[in-house]
Amino acid sequence: MHRYLCFPAILAGFLMAVGCYAATDQQPTLTTEDDLGPQVQQPIEFPHYRHAGNRNTVDLTNSDPTKGGMEINCQYCHTYARRSLTAGIPPLQKCVGCHQNIPSVRDKPRIVELFKYWDAKKAIPWKKVHDLPDFVRFNHERHIKRFIEQQGRPVQEVCGYCHGQVKEMTTARRQKPITMGWCVSCHMKEHVVVVANKDGIPEGGTPLGKQAYWYTFQKPAETKNAAGELTAKGPNDCWLCHK
Amino acid sequence: MIDSDSVKNLAGHPFDRRDFLKVLGWGGAAAALSGCGNTSIEDGKETVVSYVEAKDYVIPGVAVYFNSTCAQCDAGCSITGKIREGRVLKLEGNPESPINKGKLCGLGQAAVQHHYNPDRVREPLLRKGDKGEAISWEKAYALINEKLAGVKGEEIALLSGDVSGHQKVLLGNYMDSLGSKNHFVYEAVSPAVVRAANLKFYGVEMPRYRIDKAKVVLSFGADFLGTWVSPVHFAQQYAAFRKGVDGQRGVLIQAESKMTLTGANADRWLAVRPGTEGILALGIINALGVSTGDVAELVKDYDKARVSRDTGVEPSNIDKIAALLKLRSPSLVLAGGAAEGYVHGMQNAAAINLLNQVLGNVGKTIEAPVSVPFPQMAPSKGRTAALKDLNDGLAAGKYKVLFNVATNPVFTAPASYKFRDNMAKAGFKVAFAHYLDETALQADLVLPLDSEMEDWGTHVPEYLADTVQINIQQPLMERLHANTRGMGDILLALVKQRRAEEYKAFDDYYGYLRSAVLQNKAALGGAGSDDDTFWNDTLSNGIVKLSGASGALSLKVDVSGLKLPAPKEIDEQYPMNLIPAVTSNLRDGRHTNQPWIQESPDPLTTIVWDSWVEMHPKMALQLGIVEGDIVKVTSKTGSVSAQVYLFPGIYPDAVSIPIGRGHDAMGRYAKGYGVNPFEIMDAVFESATGELAMHETRVNITKTGQRVIVVKDEGPAGGRQMGRKIAARVSTDQVDLSKEV
Ligand code: SF4
Repeated sequence: MHRYLCFPAILAGFLMAVGCYAATDQQPTLTTEDDLGPQVQQPIEFPHYRHAGNRNTVDLTNSDPTKGGMEINCQYCHTYARRSLTAGIPPLQKCVGCHQNIPSVRDKPRIVELFKYWDAKKAIPWKKVHDLPDFVRFNHERHIKRFIEQQGRPVQEVCGYCHGQVKEMTTARRQKPITMGWCVSCHMKEHVVVVANKDGIPEGGTPLGKQAYWYTFQKPAETKNAAGELTAKGPNDCWLCHK
Repeated sequence: MIDSDSVKNLAGHPFDRRDFLKVLGWGGAAAALSGCGNTSIEDGKETVVSYVEAKDYVIPGVAVYFNSTCAQCDAGCSITGKIREGRVLKLEGNPESPINKGKLCGLGQAAVQHHYNPDRVREPLLRKGDKGEAISWEKAYALINEKLAGVKGEEIALLSGDVSGHQKVLLGNYMDSLGSKNHFVYEAVSPAVVRAANLKFYGVEMPRYRIDKAKVVLSFGADFLGTWVSPVHFAQQYAAFRKGVDGQRGVLIQAESKMTLTGANADRWLAVRPGTEGILALGIINALGVSTGDVAELVKDYDKARVSRDTGVEPSNIDKIAALLKLRSPSLVLAGGAAEGYVHGMQNAAAINLLNQVLGNVGKTIEAPVSVPFPQMAPSKGRTAALKDLNDGLAAGKYKVLFNVATNPVFTAPASYKFRDNMAKAGFKVAFAHYLDETALQADLVLPLDSEMEDWGTHVPEYLADTVQINIQQPLMERLHANTRGMGDILLALVKQRRAEEYKAFDDYYGYLRSAVLQNKAALGGAGSDDDTFWNDTLSNGIVKLSGASGALSLKVDVSGLKLPAPKEIDEQYPMNLIPAVTSNLRDGRHTNQPWIQESPDPLTTIVWDSWVEMHPKMALQLGIVEGDIVKVTSKTGSVSAQVYLFPGIYPDAVSIPIGRGHDAMGRYAKGYGVNPFEIMDAVFESATGELAMHETRVNITKTGQRVIVVKDEGPAGGRQMGRKIAARVSTDQVDLSKEV
């Protein structure tokens, strides 16, 4: 056995040493284990927490950055996410649209920088924080339709499934592995199916037969969980992501 | 044999497959998560550039579509470009166009590779010895102005391809302002002789053909599915024709010396001795036996025996065709490129058109075209005779300044023209070019053009499928390279040098086009709508459709002067006919540098990225040649060497080399692939029209001793498939495998 184990063990050990996993005795779980990406240097240190963070509950009007955010909906700026594959970065116009009416922060270094780009009509060269290989076609729109529109879950929670607690960050940093195994781990879970209305159509869903999940060729097998709710797995057709 | 138990024993430990996989899986998982798996993910490395200001309809990841016009050939198909994040990705046909009804040919599809081609010229280049020095546009314009000073109008020549629409108007005005009438409209491959014959027999140059209404189509080398006039349109007519009129599936007979794509689709394909197409047509008229008067007099000598001897078509086939044509009416007879490429090409085409008259097809499957209400925008169609005239003028030193609008005569002129040398006699040569092709390399000043996906324009196709249509060409995306310009913009800048006052209202060609269209708003069907709405509608439709009056065809049959020569005697020194083949991918070779064109297999031979000499297996046997032999094809003018491809779809006395390859410039995807048959083409001309008789060259074939394996899609390499019979059916227990191998 030793001989057989030797090579893979060395390989595994080597890779772990190189990679960002600490070698442990336990097999890393592939499910929701957070996997921090590199801290990415951005041209402007955009404070997500200021925009999307929770309000200062004591004083709702407090604009002190350390005390609270503005709870702006993620989709206000990342407006393309619900309409397209890509979430997109908001056009500069969007930033300026608000900030030209907020004189109080106008002389802050980041805002000064922002207006420099705007005056020069130059795009900001943001660095991509969540990069997928070219052969993967992730669709933001579908996930938003599914979880926000159909199931009515809170926006920040839904975005957070993949992006983590962005509202607590300045510039975003990858929080999850975003590997195929990690994606599949969620698609393999038994999710509660949206209750159908009296016509047998899931509330808010696309009425395509009685399918619980309508973005796939095969209707996933439905089961009932302990609470008696109808559950089904997410779609797992290869072509869904690998077109 | 090792069973699973012994594996366990070997390991000295109970060790099953599962364990092994687990171990591997461990390594694999670690790799996927930490090392290899993430290497293609470059978090924090790629830049995502967002818009500064985004248009409302722009959603990253969601495509938008704009209509424009395909400029890969002159058929004028309308296209719809898919654009994402400001980049054109894919072209489709515009369903609203009666010409292509939502379809597009392979050549049209490849247009994106013209646009994104890495070998495009990006800066105005001024010749400095052997090199081109990048200069600014201002300097280039000033230079042209300077060089034109003191030059008389008749000493200025301009060469272009087919041109129509507002660009033609502007081009005309510029030449006018220079006082020059020397606008040469040249296309290397054009049905100019057929046009002349049509004019004589139908009263119009390009009637509307109705393949879809015909019950029999007899085509003399008209490759209407691949290359002829408006192939995408004809392919759709052909589909209707095959579905049938009154439940009768149309029958296609193709008579030609070398099988074309259309010939390969025919129900009956007849190999005709090169140049005898007209004789066959007269023979069929004779066999029909319905004509009287002049016509009967003309065909009386063309009995089956003689026609068969002359053309190589069996008498029984002539009878069958005549019987079929009698039985099924209306039919349609077409004269294509293969019939017109001879000294007596006009006679051939006339005889073929006469057959249509005799069969009563004129007015039924040959209809009068609609006339374009703005004659100044109607297309000027290219002729090969125009290049000859220009070449003669250049040789005589008549021209001091030569403008060349994106044509490539150095590549497509027969070598005996010595066009390259003659061109040098013009003191100042300006090439408006997309690439440094053979001709642009000879110029003194090269001005880089926008691709068709960056430029504005209007086009009026010659072959109008339904109503008159003015096709709009509009940019599908921003310029890829900052310093290219649209031909319209260049012409406007040049004409402003002469007639500043007249054109001062227009900042650019876009402005000119917009105001020209809006001025005629009422005539263009926009009466009553306001300017902006009409203009925006026009752009979003991509086509302006107008009703035009259709004239009448002439039904008068005039056979005076119709006289066909007897087939040529075989020349001992040059016994074979050279057929320069026009293929649906390559056409005249202006798109050879689009890799999709190079790599899509020729429809008949499946050869890619290379030229070939097509030869009948019988002839090859006679000459002791096998497939893959490199042979030297020699004419009076010169010789080229290429691999032999054996193909039964060719008249045994002929060899064929495709046109379009063999560039020695034009960038990395064109240069050095294959050979150029224009290099060995004799300068022989059609007697009535002066067009280049492209099929008149005689050649001989010699082996060079080299042999290659022909890279092709079908059969085992080396021609072993050829001549094999399909094995007789033998029941399996009787097969003797030792004999089969
Ligand atoms: S026939 Fe093909 S190349 Fe010509 S215009 Fe139509 S699509 Fe374009």
